[in-house]
Amino acid sequence: MHGGPCGSARIFLAESTKTMVFFLQMVFAGLSVGAVYALIALGLNLTFWTTRVLNFGQGSVLMIGAMLTAVLIGYGVNLLLAVLIALVATCLVLIITEVVAIRPLLKAGGSMGWVVSTLGVGVFLQGLASLVFGTQAVAFPDVLFSSSATLQIFGAWVSVQYIAVFVICVVIVGLMELFLRRSTWGYGVRAVAHDRELASLMGIPVRKVVLLSFAVSGLLAGVAGILVSQISGTVDPGFGLHLLILAFVAAVLGGMGSAVGALIAGLGLGVLEKLIAGYYSPAAAQTVAFVLLVAVLAMRPQGLLGKKEMVKV
Amino acid sequence: MNPLHMLGKAISSPWLVGGVCIAAAAGASFADQGTVQMWCFLIVNIMLAQSINVLTGVAGQISLGHAGFLAIGSYAAAILLKDYGLSFPVAVVASVLISAAVGYVLAIPSGRVREFYLAMMSLAFGLIVYELVREWRGMTGGVMGMRGIPSPGLGTLEVFGWGVSPEWYFRIMLVSLIGMMIMLRNFIKSHFGRAFYAIHVSEIAAGSLGISSGGTKRFAYALSGGIAGLAAGFYAFLVGYITPESFTLMRSVEILVMAVVGGLGSLAGQVLGAGLFTYLPQQLQAFNDYQYIVYGLILVFSFTLLPRGLAGLLGTQTRYSKHDQLSGQVPGLDTVLSRRSGSGQALVEVCDVVMSFSGLRALDGVSLTVRRGTVTGLVGPNGSGKSTLVNVISGMYTPTVGDVYFKGEKISGWPAHRVARAGVTRTFQDPRNVPSFSVRENILMGAHRLYTHGAFAASVNSAGAQREEGRFLACTQGLMEAAGLSAYADDPVGDLPYGIQRLVEVARALASDPELLLLDEPAAGLSDTEAERLMALIRMARDHGVGVMLIDHHMDFLEELVDEVVTFDAGQEIYRGDMAGMRDDPSVIEAYLGKEETSHA
Repeated sequence: MHGGPCGSARIFLAESTKTMVFFLQMVFAGLSVGAVYALIALGLNLTFWTTRVLNFGQGSVLMIGAMLTAVLIGYGVNLLLAVLIALVATCLVLIITEVVAIRPLLKAGGSMGWVVSTLGVGVFLQGLASLVFGTQAVAFPDVLFSSSATLQIFGAWVSVQYIAVFVICVVIVGLMELFLRRSTWGYGVRAVAHDRELASLMGIPVRKVVLLSFAVSGLLAGVAGILVSQISGTVDPGFGLHLLILAFVAAVLGGMGSAVGALIAGLGLGVLEKLIAGYYSPAAAQTVAFVLLVAVLAMRPQGLLGKKEMVKV
Repeated sequence: MNPLHMLGKAISSPWLVGGVCIAAAAGASFADQGTVQMWCFLIVNIMLAQSINVLTGVAGQISLGHAGFLAIGSYAAAILLKDYGLSFPVAVVASVLISAAVGYVLAIPSGRVREFYLAMMSLAFGLIVYELVREWRGMTGGVMGMRGIPSPGLGTLEVFGWGVSPEWYFRIMLVSLIGMMIMLRNFIKSHFGRAFYAIHVSEIAAGSLGISSGGTKRFAYALSGGIAGLAAGFYAFLVGYITPESFTLMRSVEILVMAVVGGLGSLAGQVLGAGLFTYLPQQLQAFNDYQYIVYGLILVFSFTLLPRGLAGLLGTQTRYSKHDQLSGQVPGLDTVLSRRSGSGQALVEVCDVVMSFSGLRALDGVSLTVRRGTVTGLVGPNGSGKSTLVNVISGMYTPTVGDVYFKGEKISGWPAHRVARAGVTRTFQDPRNVPSFSVRENILMGAHRLYTHGAFAASVNSAGAQREEGRFLACTQGLMEAAGLSAYADDPVGDLPYGIQRLVEVARALASDPELLLLDEPAAGLSDTEAERLMALIRMARDHGVGVMLIDHHMDFLEELVDEVVTFDAGQEIYRGDMAGMRDDPSVIEAYLGKEETSHA
C-alpha cells in the first residue's frame, strides 16, 4: 500500500525525464539545422545586398558542394582535398551564375528575368548532377567526427556531429559579421548595398565587390551543403530545395539585413521545425514554416528583426 | 514583310484556328485512342500555359509552383466525383473555384512585398502541396496515388447517365478551351487587362490611376489559379490515376518553360509553346534524357536571347483595348471632360503638413488650398519640396504631421489608388506611361477609375461593357485630337519623342476626368508647339472646373496660366500671390539667386 503512490511517482518521474530528454534532443537537433539555415540565409543575403537579387538556384549549389565531396571521397580522394575542390566548385558556380544569369538580366530591369534564369541554373545543375552521378541518393561520408560519437548534455545524448555543425556555423556567421563591419571589403559590400551608383562614384570597385559577394555566397553554400549532409547522412540531386526555402524564411524573418538577424531567425526556425516534426509530422513542420512566411510577409514584410524600407517615388 | 510575321498572321487568323478546331473535333472519331489522348494532353498544357501567361506575361507576377494548383484541382475534382458523388461538370467547376481561392489566399501578402518574394512563396507553395498530398493518405492515397478515378479512356466516366467516350471527352475539352481563350482575350483587352499590365510595368504609376496593386495581384493569382484548376479538373479524369509524382517542382518548371518559350504576353504564343513541349518529348527520346538540362538552359537564356518567345518571332502582338473589336461603333462626343460647377470653391486643403525623411524636413509646416476652376502654380528651387507636396496630396507619402482634405474629407493616410479613385490625378516628373502600349491604350488606361462593368461582363463583351468601352474610346479619341496626338494613335509610346510622351501622360491624366489635377513639371522638354498644346489642355481642364496644381520652372509658361503662385524654399512657403509680385519679392530672389553682398562705401 505504501509503495503505491511512491512507485507511480517514480514512474511519472521516469516518464517526465523521458519526455524532457526527447524535447532536448529535438531542441539540439533544431539548433544544429537552424544554424545551417542561418548560414544559407547569410549566403542569400550577401548577394541580395550587393545586387538586390535572390538566387533561386542556391539549393542546387548546396547539392553540388555536398555531392562533389561525397563522390570525391568515394573515389578515395583525400578528405580535405575533396572539400576544397567542392568549395572551389561552388564559388565558381555562383560567379558563373552572376555573369551568365544575373548580370545580363539586371539591365532589362524588373525581377522576372533573374528569378527565372537563376531558377534555370538550379534546374540545369540538378539535371547535370542526375546525369553524371545518377538520381539515387549517395551516402555521405563522415567528414566531421564519427556519426556514432555522442555526448550527454542535460541527460540527452547528442551527436557530436550536431554540435560540430552548430559550432562551425555560429563561428562562420560571427566571422562574417566581423568581416562586414571591420574589413575594407566589408565596407565595400555595405557601401554597394546602400547605394550602388554612389559607391561607384566614391571609387569603390563595384564590379569586384559584387563578384566577391557571389564567390563568398558560393563558399557559404558549399560549406552549408556539406554540413547539412553530414547531419542527414545522404545527398541526392533533388536535395537543396527545402533548405533554400527554409533559409529564405529565416532570411525574411531576420529582416534580410543582418547576419545576426539571420542567425537568430534560423535557430528559432530550426528548433520550431524539429519540435513540430518530432511531436507531429515533418510535413506539418514544412507547412508551419510556410504559413509563418506568408504571415510575416503579409503583416511585417521587413521581417521580425528588420527595419522598414523607404520606397522613394 | 518578314516571312515569319506572315506565318504568324496566318496562324492567328480566326478562320484557320476555327478550321483546325472543327477538323480536330470531326477527326477525333477516326483517330486512334492514343492520338486523341495526346490532343487532350495538349489542351491541358495550353490551359496551364495560359494560366502562367495571365499571371506572368500580363500581370508580371511569377509563379514557380504551378504544379501545386494542378495538384489541388486534380485531387479536388477526383475526390468530389469519386467520394462525394458530384457530377463531372460540377466537379470541374469546383476544381476551378477551389484553385482560384487558393491563388487568392496565396497572394494575400502581395500588396506589401515585391514580386520576387511572391515567387519564392510560390516555389514553397508547390513544394508544400507535393508534401501534403504524399502525407495525407486518407484523402489522397499518399505516395501510392489515387486509383479508380472514372475516366473516358476506361469508359467509366458518365455525365447524367451518358457514358463519355474519349472522342467526346476531347470535344468537351476543346469547346472549353475555345470558350476560355475567347473570354481571356476579351478580358485582357478590357480595363482589367490594362490594370494587370499597368502593375507589371509600374505599381506607382498604376496607383496614380486608381489601380490597387495588392487587389490586382490577388485577382491575377486567383484568375491564374482558376485557369489552372480548369486544366486540373480535366486532367484528373483524363488520366484516371493521379500520384504525387505528377506534381513535382519539375512539372512547375515544365509549365513555366512552355509559357516562356511560347512568348509571355501572347495568347497565341502559348498554344505554340504548349504544342512544342507536348510533342517534343514524344518524338525525341534524347529529349527525355536531357530534359532538366534543356529546361534549365531554356530558362537561363530565353530572356536574353528570345525575350518574347515564339510569339515575338512570329510578330503576333496582344492589344490592350477593344478598339479593333468596336471600331465603327465609337460614338461621337461633344466634350471629353465633365463640366463641374462651383468654381472657386476649396477643393483640396493642405493643413500644416510636415514631411520628414529620417530627420530631413522636405515639407515644414505647409498649408495651401487649391480651388475648383483655378490653376495654382508651385515654384521653388530644386529640393524645395514641390514634388514632395504632390506626393503627399496624391497619397504616395503619408505626412509625418498634418492632414490633407479633399472636398472636406481627410485623405492623408489613404493609399494612392484610393486617392486617385476619389478624383485626384497626377503626372510624374519623368513620364510614366506604359512604353509598349500605344498612345490610345495609354490614354484609355487613364479612364480606369471610371469603369463600372465587372470582369465577367468584360470577358463576354456584354452590351453594357461594349457601350462603356466605346464611350471611353471616344473620349480618348477626343483627347488625342485636343492634344494633337491623333497621328500617333497606334504607335507604341516608348518609341515616340520625349515631348509627345509627356503630352500622352497629361492626356491620360485628363482621361480620368479628374477633379484635381497635379502636374509635376509637364512642360519640361517640350517644343514650343507642344507647350502650346499643353497650355490648351490645361485651360480646357480649368474651364471645366478642374482644380489644377502646376509645378514648373518656366516663368513665361506659368504667367499664361496661373491664378495664384506659391513659392517654396527648403520646405516652407516664402511667397504667395500673383506672378508679378513674385518676381519682385526679395525672399524669392534670394532663394533663387542667393543673398546679395551689401557693400559699404
